[in-house]
Amino acid sequence: MPPPMNLLQTIVMGLIQIVAVLIVVFIMVPLLTFAERKVIGYAQVRLGATRTASGTRGFTASLNRGMWAMGKVPVLSFFRGLPVFVADAVKLITKEDIIPAKADRAVFTLAPILSVVAAFGVFSAIAYYPGVMFYMPKSWPLIGGLPFNGAIADVNVGLLFILGLASVGVYGIVLGAWASNSKYPLLGGLRSAAQIVSYEVPLTLSLLPAVILAGTLNFKDMSVILSTGQGMSPLAVIPLFIGFFIYLTCGFAETNRVPFDLPEAETELVAGFHTEYSGMKFGFFYLAEYANMIVVSCLATAFFFGGYYLLPFGLQRIIPASVPFLGHPSFLFFMAKVSLLLFVFIWVRATLPRYRYDQLMDVGWKYLIPLSLVNLFIAAVIRYAF
Amino acid sequence: MRLLKTLIPGDIAAGLALTGKYFGKVFFSANRKKVRAHLKHFTQEYPEIPVRLAPRFRGRLTLLKDEQGEIKCVCCLACEKICPTQVITIEKGKMEGRKMPYPVRYDFEMERCIFCEFCVESCGFDSIILNHQFELAAYNREDFSLGMEGLGQNMFAPSPVGKYSVAED
Amino acid sequence: MEHQLESLGRNLFAVFGLLALAGAAFMVVSKRAVHSVLAFLFTMLCVAGCYLSMDAEFLGVAQILVYAGGIVVLFLFVVMLVELTKYKEKDIFHTQSRAAAVAVIAGVVAFAGVFKHAFFGPASPEALVLRPELAQGLDVAHQNAQAIARGLFADYLLPFEILSVILLVALVGAVVLAKTERV
Repeated sequence: MPPPMNLLQTIVMGLIQIVAVLIVVFIMVPLLTFAERKVIGYAQVRLGATRTASGTRGFTASLNRGMWAMGKVPVLSFFRGLPVFVADAVKLITKEDIIPAKADRAVFTLAPILSVVAAFGVFSAIAYYPGVMFYMPKSWPLIGGLPFNGAIADVNVGLLFILGLASVGVYGIVLGAWASNSKYPLLGGLRSAAQIVSYEVPLTLSLLPAVILAGTLNFKDMSVILSTGQGMSPLAVIPLFIGFFIYLTCGFAETNRVPFDLPEAETELVAGFHTEYSGMKFGFFYLAEYANMIVVSCLATAFFFGGYYLLPFGLQRIIPASVPFLGHPSFLFFMAKVSLLLFVFIWVRATLPRYRYDQLMDVGWKYLIPLSLVNLFIAAVIRYAF
Repeated sequence: MRLLKTLIPGDIAAGLALTGKYFGKVFFSANRKKVRAHLKHFTQEYPEIPVRLAPRFRGRLTLLKDEQGEIKCVCCLACEKICPTQVITIEKGKMEGRKMPYPVRYDFEMERCIFCEFCVESCGFDSIILNHQFELAAYNREDFSLGMEGLGQNMFAPSPVGKYSVAED
Repeated sequence: MEHQLESLGRNLFAVFGLLALAGAAFMVVSKRAVHSVLAFLFTMLCVAGCYLSMDAEFLGVAQILVYAGGIVVLFLFVVMLVELTKYKEKDIFHTQSRAAAVAVIAGVVAFAGVFKHAFFGPASPEALVLRPELAQGLDVAHQNAQAIARGLFADYLLPFEILSVILLVALVGAVVLAKTERV
């Protein structure tokens, strides 16, 4: 049992954890943009981004030249093109930040900030590991020997907190769209508001079976109970399995990803709500979109996909806890599953065309909501009858 | 039945399977295999790997020589006459020990050439071809005036000439 | 530690409360409707902050989820579509100034009475608390979602259901009103 922390220690440890999570997210987002280029390229039988760090001249030349000469693709070929994100970042940061003359300056500036804050705030309530990940080294001043928890904040109503904060993210889009004072963004913003508000209903409903089965709203406890299946009937696999797909579908809609990317449908709306944005303000929207993807993947992983354990949908009970490594929770499992789901996000983008607006609403209201209600009913029956 | 079809999105699964298949294919061949296998499936990595061109690719005009190293052209002027953009200018001449006429000058203004290959088709002696050189950009207009001599530009470069192109077998 | 956190909570409550007031004031004063909605959103978030600083986690988060995430979005949705500058010249927003002033004064007096009672008067004889038999086995301080659930679905089930019916009636009424225009 670690000694109780004083206020200063609490704050410092909190800051350390926040910074750690932010660093991981800020590493993941550029990697994700790179992965998106690559995966979509490969799925369309192209090579994706290969030009940076691929040639026979320049920084990576010594690595590549011999390989090319031998008639082989260079080592680490998959990572050719990776430095593109550096160029992306430099471009976004240094680009001229234009605010349209007729725009509402304050709201125009506020919108991307809101969007990013909502997206990143959610990371504070996600538990990446049940319990303490490691202890700070004893020799460090002030924080020596203190626990580094798997979650920044272990909120009792973690799930609700996440949903609430995520729902604030829509303001970024809507306000940005309105403040631009331009047709296309406004249309995109309206679509987005309608879409996100509609899809929030099945999204929440699809999470309810998990809440019913777990009997708690604490993120960590929910995840552990749902993946180990302790105190749950084996039949609980059914609602979890259905819920997973409903949740993922709604997650696509909530993050404005293909096939539900109507707010930024470039064929009709130029770029939708961020048409008038440039520079780092656009970068914030971009960042928020990818951060939201990570959040949705984290949630789907934690509640449906087995969380910190190996097997998804509460099947972990097959593996007894005595088995080394596979029987225990691990941060690696969590990250691997999150990565897998992120891959699915990109994979779907490479596959499906965009829905029409009425189809989008049909899918939400006519199929997903009834389906999730039925799923909720099944979960309730399983909880009380078995 | 319709309900079942709605609930189980088979089309989406089929689409995902297809893109997944291609993803796997490219993922496993793009990074491991040798360049030749690499070329067959997808985008060619052009500057690093020579581009595969079709045999009938029409590149730069080339004068051919026979086994003895003699220019095959006999100055029948068929190519000069048929050329739609009139980029070929031939000056007839005589050479000792050779019955057929000999081109003293064979000028080719590449800047106007449309690479239609009429000249090659009209040639009765198979003495000219369009080779596989496609990197023809130059900094000066004069560099496009090719002839039999001068400025390192000559019409005799054999095919393939391009540093980066490979003829299909 | 406990003491420090407690005082921090109390201070945060004051901070959030003042911010909420500032937001509300800005909402009334602001000339543009969207700014008002934004200020309203800010107020709602600050009120949620107040709840959170008093350890009412469920209430705070529900506040964000329902008001900030749902209702204010719909406000914004409507306000965005309405061109308010058109009506500004006609002064239709100032026709009710007198009635509003009276209402505000009445409200202030009423609230002042309540506050006076709350701060200086005797403690309220009966607070709205969970019946002890329902709170059994619950650590109310840390399981306030469960406590609220038991309160809503066991103790106050009937009022709760009646409320939902009232909301439904309002919804149907809105649809009916909107429909008649078209016929």
